[in-house]
Amino acid sequence: MRILLIEDSDSLRTQLSQKLTAQGLTVDTAGEGKEGLHLGKEYAYDAAIIDLGLPNVSGMDIIKQLRSASKDFPILILTARGGWQDKVEGLEAGADDYLTKPFHFEELHARLNALIRRSAGWSQDTLKCGEICLNPTEQTVHHKQQEITLTAYEYRLLHYLMLHTGEVLSKTVLTEHIYEQDHDRDSNVIEVFIKRLRSKLDPNKTLNPIETLRGRGYRFTLARDA
Amino acid sequence: MLDFLAQLSIRQRLLLVAGIILVAFLGLSAISLNNAYQASAKAAQQQRLQSHIYTLLTAIDLYKHDQLYMSETLAEPDFSTPHSGLYAQIIQAEKRVWQSSSILGFVLALPPSSGALLNHQQIYYPSQLEDGTQLINLVYDITWETDEADIIYRLHIAENTHSFTQQTAEFTRTLWYWLGGTGLLLLLVQAAILRWGLQPLQAVAEDLQAIETGKQQRLAQNYPAELNQLTTNINTLLDHEQSRRERYKNSLADLAHSLKTPIAVLQGELENSQIGDGFRKTAQEQLNRVTSLVDHQLQRAATTGKSSLLTYINIANIIDKLIGSLNKVYQQKDIDCLFDTEILSLHADESDMYELFGNLLENAYKYGHQQVEISSRSTPKEIIITVADDGDGIPPHAAEMILQRGKRIDSQVEGQGIGLAVASDIIAAYSGQIEIKNSPLGGACFIVTLPRH
Repeated sequence: MRILLIEDSDSLRTQLSQKLTAQGLTVDTAGEGKEGLHLGKEYAYDAAIIDLGLPNVSGMDIIKQLRSASKDFPILILTARGGWQDKVEGLEAGADDYLTKPFHFEELHARLNALIRRSAGWSQDTLKCGEICLNPTEQTVHHKQQEITLTAYEYRLLHYLMLHTGEVLSKTVLTEHIYEQDHDRDSNVIEVFIKRLRSKLDPNKTLNPIETLRGRGYRFTLARDA
Repeated sequence: MLDFLAQLSIRQRLLLVAGIILVAFLGLSAISLNNAYQASAKAAQQQRLQSHIYTLLTAIDLYKHDQLYMSETLAEPDFSTPHSGLYAQIIQAEKRVWQSSSILGFVLALPPSSGALLNHQQIYYPSQLEDGTQLINLVYDITWETDEADIIYRLHIAENTHSFTQQTAEFTRTLWYWLGGTGLLLLLVQAAILRWGLQPLQAVAEDLQAIETGKQQRLAQNYPAELNQLTTNINTLLDHEQSRRERYKNSLADLAHSLKTPIAVLQGELENSQIGDGFRKTAQEQLNRVTSLVDHQLQRAATTGKSSLLTYINIANIIDKLIGSLNKVYQQKDIDCLFDTEILSLHADESDMYELFGNLLENAYKYGHQQVEISSRSTPKEIIITVADDGDGIPPHAAEMILQRGKRIDSQVEGQGIGLAVASDIIAAYSGQIEIKNSPLGGACFIVTLPRH
């Protein structure tokens, strides 16, 4: 899950970025409007957190420009003053939710998760596909009540696959959504991760949760429960 | 009376004064013209009587010392026509010695006796006949010197004043007609001039009205030179006020940003640091206090409150936008919100109303289960807006506390807890009232009353 975070305060940006990464999210950051807008237009994100008071290009303008460039990932606005006129303007410009500073990180994380799964069509917090169950709040994966231990990248990959269950996802798309912008990418690594996920989720090879479509990518096969 | 005068408009004052001056001027000129005419008419009358005296004198002859002889035909035929209105008689020693033939069938009273009039002295006096006819009389003495003694003959001419009165009355009537007509015409012209002259003031008043009702933002530019200075200044004031308010709000937003971002950082650090629980709890409490203090004070500072420079805004429009936004944010809850008012206008600052109803509605969305109902009532004096939800409601003892201190009853739901206190502050700034009751939907019901003026 790749997140764009645009926040002009260095300390808040660093702190949030660390915490979000610790929650199994891939985070790209920008400290001012211009760079943020560029990132938002250039890359495929699953959600964005945008502060309204930014230097160079205001948060409001970023939202408007992203939406007019048909970027439809969910956007959460952070505001300091929390004025309703700003909130309404932001939501009308295309944002999906707002949070007033200061906030508890859990609140931010919960709202972000809700936005991401809502945009993928999920209505419950926990992603449940057949016997496999992923809880994004606790970052845990269970198979028949049995917890499965995953590495950070395995978790990110599974989260994305499950969120978009039934969809064919190319290696490029998967790479884009689990790696940071400046990460050294090697799409072969995806193959390795998929192989490991298969052996961890389905050691007996009875479930076949991830199928390979030659030349097109991968697909999570288990239908979602809710 | 003074109150009445003070309440008159400029046009009424000018018209009143112009009217009074016009009436006084025309009245006085009528009186003086009339007097002058009367005086000259009187002088002409006297002159005429005097010429009759001369006519008589030329006709008188005396012989045998004291025998008066009048020639049969006088130069003036009116003396010979009965009841012609011109009469003459000659008196000597209190006895009538001759009278004109126009005196037929009545007696012309003898003039009042007095000493002999010397040196061409004359007496004028008015009198009345028995039938009420008004006469003007002239008495003139002549002295006939004989060898024995001087005989004094008194010549008495009387003329009917009927034609004289008629003439002057006719003049007076014509005079009043003309002056009255002129006065009326002048008054109308005056009113037209005033109307035209004061039109720019009327236009300014209409412009201001349009600004008040929000139809326009500034005054028009094409005023006469005398008013231009004023209207330009008002425009500058309006622009200045607007930009001042914007600047003020922007700097408050900046202040909020620079105050609250560090608090957010601190909050974040507190959550993941390795410090003891006791300290964390204290620090968290203090941080919460600082936060709500900053929020509350900034919001108070940003509240514009009542001001006559504010335009009319449509609150229904603002509520619609807020509902749209909240529906988006509370998508998951799938709240059924009812609000069907289209126009609800009030003199108010837009962002004040956004804060007031944003906080009330968010509260309803947050605590309501499925239904929120907003209704409104509008009277000439005030507007009343009711926000009701189907949540758990607010216990009566807590209602006061919520509005005053901004404490949340349910600490589980995220929020700053000052929303309702902010709403209550804004309502106070507009001299309005807020009431918390139980809603028919089962939850809380907030009744906001905002006066129009």
